[in-house]
Amino acid sequence: MQNQLIAACEAKHAKSDIPHFQVGDTIIVHQKLLDGVKERLQTFEGDVIARSGAGARESITVRRLVQSEGVERIFPIHSPRIAKIEVKRAGMVRRAKLNYIRDRVGKATKIKPDPKRQVVLDAAVKVAAVETAMAAAIANKENNTTGESKRAAKRKLKAESTKK
Amino acid sequence: MALGLLGTKVGMTQVYNDKDGLVEPVTVLQLGPCPVLQIRTADRDGYSAVQLGFKDKPRKNAIRAEQGHVASGLKSKRKDARLKGGVQLLEKADCEPQRFIREFRVDAPTVKVGEKLAVSDIFGSVKAVDVIGTSKGRGYQGVMRRHGFHGLPAAHGAKKVHRQAGSTSSLASNRGSGRPKKGLKRAGQYGNTRVTIRNLAVVRIDTENNLLLVRGAIPGHNGSYIIVRPTNKYGSTHGIVRDAGPAKNKVVLAKKGK
Repeated sequence: MQNQLIAACEAKHAKSDIPHFQVGDTIIVHQKLLDGVKERLQTFEGDVIARSGAGARESITVRRLVQSEGVERIFPIHSPRIAKIEVKRAGMVRRAKLNYIRDRVGKATKIKPDPKRQVVLDAAVKVAAVETAMAAAIANKENNTTGESKRAAKRKLKAESTKK
Repeated sequence: MALGLLGTKVGMTQVYNDKDGLVEPVTVLQLGPCPVLQIRTADRDGYSAVQLGFKDKPRKNAIRAEQGHVASGLKSKRKDARLKGGVQLLEKADCEPQRFIREFRVDAPTVKVGEKLAVSDIFGSVKAVDVIGTSKGRGYQGVMRRHGFHGLPAAHGAKKVHRQAGSTSSLASNRGSGRPKKGLKRAGQYGNTRVTIRNLAVVRIDTENNLLLVRGAIPGHNGSYIIVRPTNKYGSTHGIVRDAGPAKNKVVLAKKGK
C-alpha cells in the first residue's frame, strides 16, 4: 500500500490524457526540447518493450532500429516534457518485458500485429482526425465573422500602417 | 542558529521539477504543526532556545510530568506550594502532551509559547535545509561492513582470516606507546546513531498536508522522527546562507598591462 502523503505529492503530476497502449505496441513519443531559447518537438518512434512503475512514476522503454543498430530510450510518461504519445500499431506479445528482442536479428525482431486492437486504434485515429477538422473549421469560421477574405484583411492592415 | 521544525520522514518518491520538467528524487517530510512548549532564556536557563513539540500523545499514555509540561490546569501539591511561596510559574503551551520534544538554539526568539508553527512559517523562503535523523541500526558489524575495510586475502595462504582488520597496533603514528591508538576503527555497533545531512535543496512545500520535499535521501526509517532546520552551511549551493561567514579577502587578479 502506498503512503497517502506520497500519493498526494505525486498526484499533481499524473496526466490524464495518456492513451491506452500495451507492451509490444508501436508508438510515437513527442518530446519537448529546449533548442536555445525556442522550444521544439522531437519524435521518437519505436516498440514499447517495457512499462515499469506506477502512477506518476510510470516509465516506458521504447526500442527502435536505427541503421540496423538497436536504440532504446526510457521515457517517464507523465513528464511535462512529453508533449504527446501516439499509438501507431498494436502488437500481440505474450510477455510483459520484451528483453528477448535485444538478442534477435532481422525478421525475428518484428512483433506480431494484433488486428483486433488495431481496428479500435484506427477508428480512434479517424475520430480524432474528424474532430480536429471540425474544430479547425469552427475556429476558422470564428475568425472570419466579418466576412472579410484574408486578402482584404491584409490590405486593410497595410492601409492602416501607411496612414501612421 | 535558526529555528527549525520537528517531523517525520514519510518516504522517498520522485516528482517533476517545476522549472524544466526534470525528474527530482525527493524525500517527503511531514513537519509540524509544532507547538512552542517553552522559551529558554539566557537569564534563567543560561542559554536561549525554543522548545518545540511534535505529534500529540494520548493523555492516558503520557506520564504526569509530560502532561504538566504542556498543561497549566494540572493540579499538583508542589505547584500550589510554589504559588504560595510567590514563585512565578512558567507559561504553558496548553496543548496535548507531545511525543517528540527538542530544542533549537535561537538567539532572540520571536515566537511565543503556545504558538503552533507550520511548514510555511519556517521554510517559506528557505531554499536548503539540514536534516537530523537517526540512521538505520545495523547491529554489531565487522570492519568490512562498518568501515569499508578491504579485509584480508581470500587465498595466498590466508588461514581462516578473510574479513579481519589486520594488524591494529604498531601504527607509525603510535609507535612505542605499546597500545593501539585511540579511535581506531574496529568492529562494533553500526548505525542507529544521530546523523546530520546538510544542504538539501527544498523542492516543494505542501502547506495543506504540512509536507516539505527535499532533494535526496535522509537517514533513518520511514516514519522516524527528524529535526529539520534551514541550512547552516556557509556558501550553500542552493543560494541561501544563514549566517555571514568569515570575512573573505577579495582576491583581485592583476591584469596584465600592455
